[in-house]
Amino acid sequence: MPVRLKINGKDISADVDTRTTLLDLLRERLQLTGSKKGCDHGQCGACTVLVNGRRINSCLSLAVVHDGEEITTIEGLANGEQLHPMQAAFVEHDGFQCGYCTPGQICSAVACVKEGHAKSDDEIREWMSGNLCRCGAYPNIVDAIKDAVAKNA
Amino acid sequence: MAQTANILGPARNRVDGRAKVTGAAKYSVEFTPPKCAYAWPVESNIAKGKIAAVDAKEAQAAPGVLAIISHLNAPKPKEPAAKKERNSGHGIRNEERLPFGDDEVHYAGQYVALVVAQTIEQARYAAGLVRVTFTPEEPLLTMKAAEDKAKKPETNHDEHVQLKKGDVDATLTDSGLTKIEQTYITPTETHNPIEMSGTIAAWDGDKLTLWDATQFVKGVQSIVSRAWNLPTENVRVICPFVGGAFGCKGAVWPHVLAASMAAKAAGVPVKFHVRRQDMFTSTGHRTPTEQTIALAATRDGKLRAMRHVTNTLTSTVGEFTESCGARSTGVMYDSPAIRVEETVFPVNVSTPTFMRAPGECPGTYALECAMDELAVALKMDPVQLRLANHADNHPIKNVPFSAKHLRECYQVGAEKFGWAKRNAQPRSMRDGGLLVGWGMATKTYPAHKMNAAAKVILRADGSATVQCATHDLGTGAYTAFTQISSEQLGIPFEKVTFELGKSDFPFGPVAGGSNSTATVGTALHEVAGLLHNALAQLAVKDSKSPLYNEKADDITMVEPGRIGLKNAHAKSDSYIDILRRAGRDSIEVQSELKEPEENKKQSFQSFGADFVEVKIDPLLPRVQVTRVVSVINCGRVVTFKPARNQIIGGVNMGIGMALMEATEYDPQTGLPVIRNLADYHVVTNADAPVIDVTFVGEPDFAFNPIGCRGIGEIGITGAAAAVANAVYHATGKRVRDLPITPDKLLDIA
Repeated sequence: MPVRLKINGKDISADVDTRTTLLDLLRERLQLTGSKKGCDHGQCGACTVLVNGRRINSCLSLAVVHDGEEITTIEGLANGEQLHPMQAAFVEHDGFQCGYCTPGQICSAVACVKEGHAKSDDEIREWMSGNLCRCGAYPNIVDAIKDAVAKNA
Repeated sequence: MAQTANILGPARNRVDGRAKVTGAAKYSVEFTPPKCAYAWPVESNIAKGKIAAVDAKEAQAAPGVLAIISHLNAPKPKEPAAKKERNSGHGIRNEERLPFGDDEVHYAGQYVALVVAQTIEQARYAAGLVRVTFTPEEPLLTMKAAEDKAKKPETNHDEHVQLKKGDVDATLTDSGLTKIEQTYITPTETHNPIEMSGTIAAWDGDKLTLWDATQFVKGVQSIVSRAWNLPTENVRVICPFVGGAFGCKGAVWPHVLAASMAAKAAGVPVKFHVRRQDMFTSTGHRTPTEQTIALAATRDGKLRAMRHVTNTLTSTVGEFTESCGARSTGVMYDSPAIRVEETVFPVNVSTPTFMRAPGECPGTYALECAMDELAVALKMDPVQLRLANHADNHPIKNVPFSAKHLRECYQVGAEKFGWAKRNAQPRSMRDGGLLVGWGMATKTYPAHKMNAAAKVILRADGSATVQCATHDLGTGAYTAFTQISSEQLGIPFEKVTFELGKSDFPFGPVAGGSNSTATVGTALHEVAGLLHNALAQLAVKDSKSPLYNEKADDITMVEPGRIGLKNAHAKSDSYIDILRRAGRDSIEVQSELKEPEENKKQSFQSFGADFVEVKIDPLLPRVQVTRVVSVINCGRVVTFKPARNQIIGGVNMGIGMALMEATEYDPQTGLPVIRNLADYHVVTNADAPVIDVTFVGEPDFAFNPIGCRGIGEIGITGAAAAVANAVYHATGKRVRDLPITPDKLLDIA
């Protein structure tokens, strides 16, 4: 089935199996492997991408239902060589270890701030709990998000 | 206050940080080669029995299907001979059985067929069409059922696990002593790194490339090449990034060989990305433990006897010993009598493996809870009890610990936490309506060193590339080894590129046992000496060099970028000038693999202490850990940020162990009923407390020239006990079977 998407600002047309998830389209067809598969069940958050600015689990979403929509993945956040402030803050605060949940954490964090859910440590912790980090770098993730908020303010 | 200046490396950002935050870091299953097909497994739904029939006719006809393999038709590699040495370059297997080797089923979730199709969707659909029928047999699922088959292993790898010192039984009957004896239970725990295991296998004639998520590229190369009877170098293993592992990617599990078998059968490269549910059955887990600890002490808290008896499970197709007692009670306190026993029961459950601090982690949970119970029985402060039994010497080997600063860990931790304000009485501390509990525990993990080699390519522009087949699991290895290379070679940090994760590189051991920094660091120290010597050889023959006609052996690095005379530093030459005058673009040296020298006069072990605060609503007794102070004595800390992060992560995993993690099995069928991340609860951001990490001590140069003792595992040790002890202090209720879920505290209100 044909599908047209705008991914990281680029128009993409693809003919996809109706069973293909948005995540598998990104990773296996478009070689956008920044979005990660951590469970394929919508339970870990590693596949989080922004669809029309809203964070979703791309493994739980079929590619065909996003026809005409705007998708931002981790590959689309930086402005050329210039990291997005959230990416820079994750590096500075060591907000990861293995890095596998990181693209999802960062996409989720960008949306979390936009939603207005980053006004306190507790609020960040609650609204970022859909993104598991088995390495357990959570305190650094919270510090990174706070820093990114402060620098954007 | 703690003197830490001499142990802390720079707080620089990770060299691979940018790749990880932009999505540019490629993990093993992301190297999709052209024409790559996808594998989807069919697994046993019985724990023991035989495969009666495999009907793949309908599946074979489904769109896109390229091959379906089962024991009936799978290409047959041979069983790679078992090699048990800890230090071995031969790789690790826990499940010692070839996938699709025969019609036997040994555990629920065993792969019995594998469908290969052009797309994931086609493979998944066709796998649902494969009909496998089984002839079930009665499985052994519990310790009781497997009693007749129980084994008491003498050793685990090269260490003794049944320990005897002094007369424990007689001391435990001494009526003048204060005694406690309790049994502590830990459930099956599953590693669950967020990156699921996975392998892409691509054949080119008799050459095989594997992109494999592994903690041991050289081990995978050895096992897979021996299985296919190929020269070692015909198998290449590539893994530049590992998305977490915690032990489950150390051994070669069935999917690795299965991917290579499927690729052979299908005639195209095959990607086998292990599903999350199969991470519970086919890549290992921490075995459940049942630990009974008896302690006897004088009135003033001096331990006179310790007994630690552990029962654990293994599978019927692999031996695994968790060594809880030897790795906790066997190293921790100064007691004249110690006995450690270990019994392993083989059952029809998939094979366990090492999970972060195997032995030490459940062992310190039980021991440090028992010590807390002894402190209560003695009416003694838990920190004071531990100080009273501090061991200067290894309690079994009776040789001094090197650079041990555990007393300082207690002191610094207690001070930072505010321990002096603790009211020892359970349920005495409150925050509004919440019960507040403060608990502590000792942490420990041994310093391991294996063997490694490294290669350096120094270029005339002053930059260098350094290579070793080691791994970065998120530990910060890229950054730490860039840092060590920079220091040892005398080349600016920014000009060093450290490469790892390829079997083409010089040997690196398994990234396990917290050994990598010490092991590879030693190899980097050695290769730096070789580089300086190679430059000296050029300089002494060069009439334009200030070192002309000197003896190369008298020359060493005198400052970064320069070699000179050991005794007259002023006479020196720069690397760049030496290479340029010699007309060389670059120079390359490689160190040899050597067995590490064993120092038997000292014992090398890291220590630490955790202080934990919990808050519990007595009406809805969900335990929230609100703050942790963790003080670590692990020798030198090469790079501060990743090291601190390792401790934070270890403590968080310990909190998960204490409060939520458990893989449950159906007692009738042996099937895991917890097989996903919604049911297997790990610590989320909202569960994670503020964790204050401090490193104390001195570099341990007796252990290796870098002075580090490793850091990946000590973080989790003791943490679950500190939480459990805090829960007791908050509630007055001692829960001795983990995890401490709200249902176990319902009677505290």
